[in-house]
This record gives sequence, C-alpha cells and structure tokens, in this order.
Amino acid sequence: MKELTAEDASLLELVDRLLNKGVVLAGEATISVAGIDLIYLGLNVVLTAVETLEKSEKRRAS
Amino acid sequence: MTLIAHAIAAAPPASLSAGGLRGRPLAWSEAAAGLGLWSTEWTPDLKLERPDALEHHRLVERICAAQPCLPVRFGTTFASVDAARASLDKRAEALHAALARVGGKSEIALTLLWREPPAAGVTPLAAGPGRRYMEARRAEFGARETRRARAEYLVERFIAELAIERPLVWHETCTSTNVAVSLAVLTPTERADERKAEMVRIAEGFSDVVAVVNGPWPPYTFASTG
Repeated sequence: MKELTAEDASLLELVDRLLNKGVVLAGEATISVAGIDLIYLGLNVVLTAVETLEKSEKRRAS
Repeated sequence: MTLIAHAIAAAPPASLSAGGLRGRPLAWSEAAAGLGLWSTEWTPDLKLERPDALEHHRLVERICAAQPCLPVRFGTTFASVDAARASLDKRAEALHAALARVGGKSEIALTLLWREPPAAGVTPLAAGPGRRYMEARRAEFGARETRRARAEYLVERFIAELAIERPLVWHETCTSTNVAVSLAVLTPTERADERKAEMVRIAEGFSDVVAVVNGPWPPYTFASTG
C-alpha cells in the first residue's frame, strides 16, 4: 500500500473540491476554453497529485 | 471576451483589488436577479494550466473574505458577460437559497488515514491453489468490510463528539486504500478556528488513524444547488 502523507492528503482533498465541488453552472451558456483541454486539465491536476505521491515514495525509499 | 468563473455573490459587489487569474482583470457581471458573478477576463486562446486551479482557490478565498459568496467549480467558462448573466438568472432562486445557506460560512476538511495496511488473511499452506485463491478473496472482502464498518463508526463518534447537526457535515468513507474518512464541516467563518481546534482534538483520540485537518476553506462542498 502506498503511504499517503498529510501533505499529499491535503492536496488531494483540495483538488477534489476544486474539480468536483462548488456550484455547477452547466447548460448551454457554459462552454469550455478549448473543449477537451478542460478534461485534460482535470487529468493533469490529478497527475500532479500522483506525481507528488511518487516523489514522496522515492524519498522514503532512498 | 471569455470569462473564467470564480464565485457568485449578491449585488452590490465588494471592493476587491483588480487581479484575477495570471494578473488578468477580475470582472463583476451583475445579473437581473440581484446576483453577480466574479470571474477573470480571459481569451479563448489561453489554456488553463495546473497553477490556475490553485490560483482560482486563492481568488475564491479572497472573494469569500470580502463578501458572502458561492464558489463555482473550477473550469466553468462563459463565452460572454451576457451568457454568464443568463446562466445566473435561470437559476436565481436556487442560487439565492444556496447563498443564504452557506454565505459567511467556511468548511473545514478532515481526512483520516489508516495507520496500518489492511490485515492479510492466513491460508493453510497445504491448501490447493483454488482454495488459496478463494480464501484470499474472502479474507480481502472481510478486511474491506471490517474497515468500512470501523470508518462509519469513526464518523458517527466524531459527529456525536462534535455535537453538530448532520446537514452541516458531509462525509465519505474508504475512498481509497489509505483513506478511512473524508469529511467536511460547515461552520460560521468567525468560529472556524475554534471549530478546527475542536476537530483536531477529537480526531487525535482515534488510535488507528492519522488525522489531517485542513481549512478553513470556502464552502465548496456545501455550495451545491442540488
């Protein structure tokens, strides 16, 4: 099991709120900046969190 | 002009310094329903990037500190001021209700991380591969259910000790192998630090988890209009 540090958990909680919570103003008025780019951004942010996990794991291993 | 939405507030807007995302202008678009949208003036050729998400968070914090507001999900974009106004007008009643519910309040996040990995089951060495597989599956399922029950118990104990009404608490259990509980509490902003200290004290009493308490944050989790 990957150990999750307090710092990792804090970042993941915040990212989850930014991307999954808050008021959703959906509908025809809402467009994305460049279509798929917003989806890509979501993955990117999650990847950032994953990278943080990987780095902290490497630090512990070394 | 494209707008990247940050937060919804009641008119009139608070006085805020001009900086939006990447130092671009922060705009107020007032709708007919007495509501308005804080957003950054953007251009469609600019791509949102990772740091923009955290900058959005800092902007929402700044707006919430200046006036009661509803955080908007990051990445919400409008093609024009008119499109933003139309969107707010269309849902004005629900937005007013949400603003009355969470305006002037903050959320504090609690994450409980398991201290130890789940216990591994013991399978007799003499057992054949089929039985070993089935025993391993059964042990895995049993361990997962035990943890889920324990996590739910921790939530119940936490809510009871905090003596808080249930509508002011949101939670999920066992969202990943490491996470026992992800929980958020809605609290008046002026009492947030006091509430946070209380949450830390209670969570530190749980021996099998490590508590991580964050916030106060804008009330992201409770801003939903359903």
